[in-house]
Amino acid sequence: MTPDSQPVTITGIGSVSPHGPLAGIIPKLRLEPTTITAWTTEGQRRAFLVPPFRPAAVVPGLKTRRLDRLSAWALVASSLAIRDAGIDLTQIDRSRVAVVFATAFGCIELTEAFYLSAAAHGWNGTDPVTFPETLASSPASHVAMFHGLRGPNITVSNKYFGGESAILQAAGVIRHAQADLAIVLAGDTLAQTLYAWYEQADLLSPACYNSNPVEDDGFVPSEGVAALVMESSARIKDRPGGRNYARITSGRWAAASGHPAEIIRQMLHGARPTVAICSGNGAPCALSPTSSLARETTGDDCVVTSPQAFARGLAGSGALFHLISGLGDLADTPRSHEQALFLGTARDNGFAAILLELS
Amino acid sequence: MVVTGVGVVSPYGIGLDCFQAGMLSGKCCLARTTDDVYPGFEGSIAQIRGLPAKDSNPRYSRTDRLAMMASQDAIANSGSDRSKFREAGIVMASTVGGLTEIDTGIAKDPAAFYQRNGNLIQASSYPVAHVADAVGERFEIRGPRCAISVACASGAMAIALAANMLLDGAAPIVLAGGSDPLCPFTLSGFNSLQALDPNPCSPFDQNRKGLNLGEGSAVLVLETLAGATARHASVLAVLRGWAMTNDAFHPTAPQNDGSGLAECIRLSMQMAEVTGDEIGYVNAHGTGTPLNDSAEANAYEAVFRGRNRPIPVSSTKSYFGHCLGAAGALEAAVTIMAIRCGALLPTLRLTNPIESPGIDWLRGDVKRQPLPLAMSASSGFGGSNTVLIFGSSLS
Repeated sequence: MTPDSQPVTITGIGSVSPHGPLAGIIPKLRLEPTTITAWTTEGQRRAFLVPPFRPAAVVPGLKTRRLDRLSAWALVASSLAIRDAGIDLTQIDRSRVAVVFATAFGCIELTEAFYLSAAAHGWNGTDPVTFPETLASSPASHVAMFHGLRGPNITVSNKYFGGESAILQAAGVIRHAQADLAIVLAGDTLAQTLYAWYEQADLLSPACYNSNPVEDDGFVPSEGVAALVMESSARIKDRPGGRNYARITSGRWAAASGHPAEIIRQMLHGARPTVAICSGNGAPCALSPTSSLARETTGDDCVVTSPQAFARGLAGSGALFHLISGLGDLADTPRSHEQALFLGTARDNGFAAILLELS
Repeated sequence: MVVTGVGVVSPYGIGLDCFQAGMLSGKCCLARTTDDVYPGFEGSIAQIRGLPAKDSNPRYSRTDRLAMMASQDAIANSGSDRSKFREAGIVMASTVGGLTEIDTGIAKDPAAFYQRNGNLIQASSYPVAHVADAVGERFEIRGPRCAISVACASGAMAIALAANMLLDGAAPIVLAGGSDPLCPFTLSGFNSLQALDPNPCSPFDQNRKGLNLGEGSAVLVLETLAGATARHASVLAVLRGWAMTNDAFHPTAPQNDGSGLAECIRLSMQMAEVTGDEIGYVNAHGTGTPLNDSAEANAYEAVFRGRNRPIPVSSTKSYFGHCLGAAGALEAAVTIMAIRCGALLPTLRLTNPIESPGIDWLRGDVKRQPLPLAMSASSGFGGSNTVLIFGSSLS
């Protein structure tokens, strides 16, 4: 996406997070991890967990009995984002609505359940209802089915930049006239397998094992799904009264780079963002190089927002939460037409940079 | 957008050449097997035999290895050295990812799996993203990369998204494709759905009984015509049009009228600025399941109604099975091969085709004729459809 690209506007936000289900920006409330009770642990184990809620109480008519939590949350988050955008789906051409979903681990709970059924009954005795729901693309398919969205339906996975790549893929689909509007989602659930892997990799913060507050000392696993409604900026001109959180004007990403600052400056094309929303990818060390790169490319005056701790626990799919909470941090100060750099970094100088115009 | 390289690892062996030779000779790789992928399985599959010994790097899953081998073949076939790919993009599709590496651990002994039994290395390849990372690491590629997973339309959609990436100017050249190996997880899953034909499948036959799983990987090198011309690359085919839609209908079943796929075909033809009369061949999704094949036939009937002659259609899953996330990419490779060789491949074991007056079901011998324009259609669980239109030239 280059600076001369047709801009795309974020018009709706929804989420299911450790804050619960929410439409719009996530409030600046400090959260602490909660004790895991979904499986037996040796001693205390904590994580940022989504509190139990009844999806139908948030989205009337929603039936989630046969779905895993990731699909259920995707349905709730997408519904809240569409509601927040003030869009009546019955009034638009739903064959022109895309769904782009980013996930690192997909439907890991059901994958785990399928394996356990194989362990219990043998490979010839596995559950036919569970199997298709183990696909990473199931949540996006359920979003399409529930809302009747017949446009492109894409599920992406990226180790560090899942959310950012979903935003850029969605922007591409809109810009290339493959859709007029996109529901962009990113998220993961926390399963026993995943927690075990994090433990083995020695990634976890001491706050996972005791009741101390979370500091910048490691990784506290998290879960949730965030959703954005993205529309072509031309389209929302015809829809007075619609929300306008930010316009995406350009973006670049690379898995590794010799000169990330140079490439980002080229992308900025002379623009001087006054704010940087940094997307830490879980590693405690990630924020510092991201902030440094943000200042290197935008100048020392740039305000760098700090991400919410829970969003850092969603490795690879937390970016939308970083963006939503970053936009929330900025909401108190009028910043009309100021520009913001949404930036994530990875090892080997990998980066994802998206230029936003705030409203 | 032009295709300047194609790489394949398939049940025919490693490399595009043996894939092409095997298919043109009409060789079927599907064979009945017992206890091969897991104890107690009995049915027909298409396996890759004789892969080189496992990579010295244990972080790479079988899915990763297939993708890396196909990428190597594609890069070699593109007539370019690896340095040209330094800033390339990568879009890799898979549905299995690293499941192959944890299958035995968690399913055999879940208690041991959860007791720190040293499975971390295997687990690191679990996310689908790892397939794209493995290719990037192996060939020191630094551009934008992601993996996608959209069930059986994945491989084709990877190519469509790579084309979008080129249109965006996000990368000068893109490696795009899919990779999926056989593993107990998927074989057991399709078996539980009673979707498997125990014998080699017969897509589009009135007596079809289901699909067979295969394994493989195919990777295309995509770049802009300007980029290819600048480096004097041979253009293997032109990607004239692509489209993606969703049925928004059912988790596993397609709409019986095929309307989602039909819309996808129309959109791809609109993008390619071609009419139904100009399409010379359709490489169909053609799984061999009762529901898919009838819906697909309905889609072709709807779109190509009014053509001056029936549309030639075949399913090459009858040769090497359904390779899931790799299927769309392998079938894109078949479609390009059909254009380049002027060869319309028949569906194997098609004796009593679905009655569709608007469709010329290809069967019997390979039909030799010039093929300026051909289409590859893919669909998958969750209602995803992707259609790619390839041509021999820009016009």
